[in-house]
Amino acid sequence: MDSLKRTPIYEEHTKLGAKIVPFAGWEMPLQYGSIIDEHLTVRNKVGLFDVSHMGEIFVSGREALDFLQKLVPQDISKLFPGKAVYCQLTNKTAGIIDDLIIYRLEDNEEYQSYLLIVNASRLEEDFDWIEFNKKDGSYDVEIDNQSDNMALLSVQGPFASDLIEDMGLSKDEQPVKFTIKTACLDSYDVLISRTGYTGEDGFEILIKNENAVHLWQEILEKGQKYEIKPIGLGARDTLRLEASMLLYGQDMDDKTTPPEASLSWSIPSNKEEDYFGKEIILSQLENKNMSKILIGFRMTGNAIARHNYEIYKDNEKVGIVTSGGIAPALKANIGLGYINTNIPTLIGTKLDIKIRDKFFPAEIVKRPFYVRSMRK
Amino acid sequence: MDKLEVPNNILCTKSHEYIIAEKDIATVGITDYAVDQLGDVVFVELPDVGASFSKGESFGTIESVKAASEIYMPVGGKVIEVNENLAKQPELINEDCFEKGWLIKIAEFDKSELDDAMSYDEYKDFLESNEEEE
Repeated sequence: MDSLKRTPIYEEHTKLGAKIVPFAGWEMPLQYGSIIDEHLTVRNKVGLFDVSHMGEIFVSGREALDFLQKLVPQDISKLFPGKAVYCQLTNKTAGIIDDLIIYRLEDNEEYQSYLLIVNASRLEEDFDWIEFNKKDGSYDVEIDNQSDNMALLSVQGPFASDLIEDMGLSKDEQPVKFTIKTACLDSYDVLISRTGYTGEDGFEILIKNENAVHLWQEILEKGQKYEIKPIGLGARDTLRLEASMLLYGQDMDDKTTPPEASLSWSIPSNKEEDYFGKEIILSQLENKNMSKILIGFRMTGNAIARHNYEIYKDNEKVGIVTSGGIAPALKANIGLGYINTNIPTLIGTKLDIKIRDKFFPAEIVKRPFYVRSMRK
Repeated sequence: MDKLEVPNNILCTKSHEYIIAEKDIATVGITDYAVDQLGDVVFVELPDVGASFSKGESFGTIESVKAASEIYMPVGGKVIEVNENLAKQPELINEDCFEKGWLIKIAEFDKSELDDAMSYDEYKDFLESNEEEE
């Protein structure tokens, strides 16, 4: 096995007493203290994440737009400079190779420039697929994997915007929701976007490795007045689940299509350009002929669902839990899973989750489980 | 974690349970090391009073944010009481695993079954030698 990589912030994590775990080829902080406390800090105050393990691939050139249109079901032509969109890389059978955010950077029509932020666990697959298709279609694009040179810090929570203002970027200058811009933060050139993986308002800051530690320290320092805390991958997982965001490799894989993963909201039905898996995806969007679909559920019995637990309906196995756990801000036990579409998949449908050979009741609920407006 | 007062008559197992035997009744819980490894305890499933288990048998489950872990009997015996407070306040295990965070009380156990259990000092040595192996 290859040795594990460390982000530029690694020493800071150990100084802060983090429990370090291997994740997607990296040594990452799981938690600094209590996961529940870190979770609630992001929901109620502000938290700082080191997510430098994520991959950054820049795609630019005369045919960058045409090229990306071929790779994802989303309509990338709708992006104005600075705009971001959630999408999936799909294969020829409409399976999801990865999910990602594509950001259009400041550019012009003749030479477009995009940033793709992808999962660490899929970076190699993604890059190979992108390179292969560039050659296969003879696209005039430049593909630049900057993942090893860039750090990514994420500031998330209701005080994120105040904190970024204190860091020197006024609220008027801050990127609005799902946009990105270049900025000077703490005297460093960064790309800063208004995106995240927590369900809260927040920012993701892309910075050169060599400047990352200083920025990390400055954010923690200036964030003290908002009671900022560093947040590990443990809370990142509970936060994203509570916001009902999918985790690649767990809630979807290359044998799952976007409509099966309940990601139809991210797929326009009227995109003209061809893309990988288009025929299958459009047929599924139109005919709803998927054999399984991702649903969100809430335990109504006193038990916690976990990854790979079986889902039953009237004593018959109908599906499998892909993510399950506690929702600290909702004080509920929730999960995501796939169920066969030959049973009702509507909100309110009663299910049973098999936990240690016993059945515990659950019910399909509306997603997202948590939205910001629920905050007290 | 704050330093806890460790009861002096405690015995520990390799699977990180403790047992405090006083005459005919013993209290069973999980060690401070186990608590530290688990992190926030969010759910505890305990057996019914009256249930009997043999040594090494799983008698319940402790769930942290990340995972569910089974807990094993340090000695065979009959459950005479379970810590009802844990149903509403599983975090008592994090706060004080030796006092407020105990799991079950058992009777009808055979003390000779505890011959291979470790004193707290021996348990600490066992943990250290385990870390060295890693």
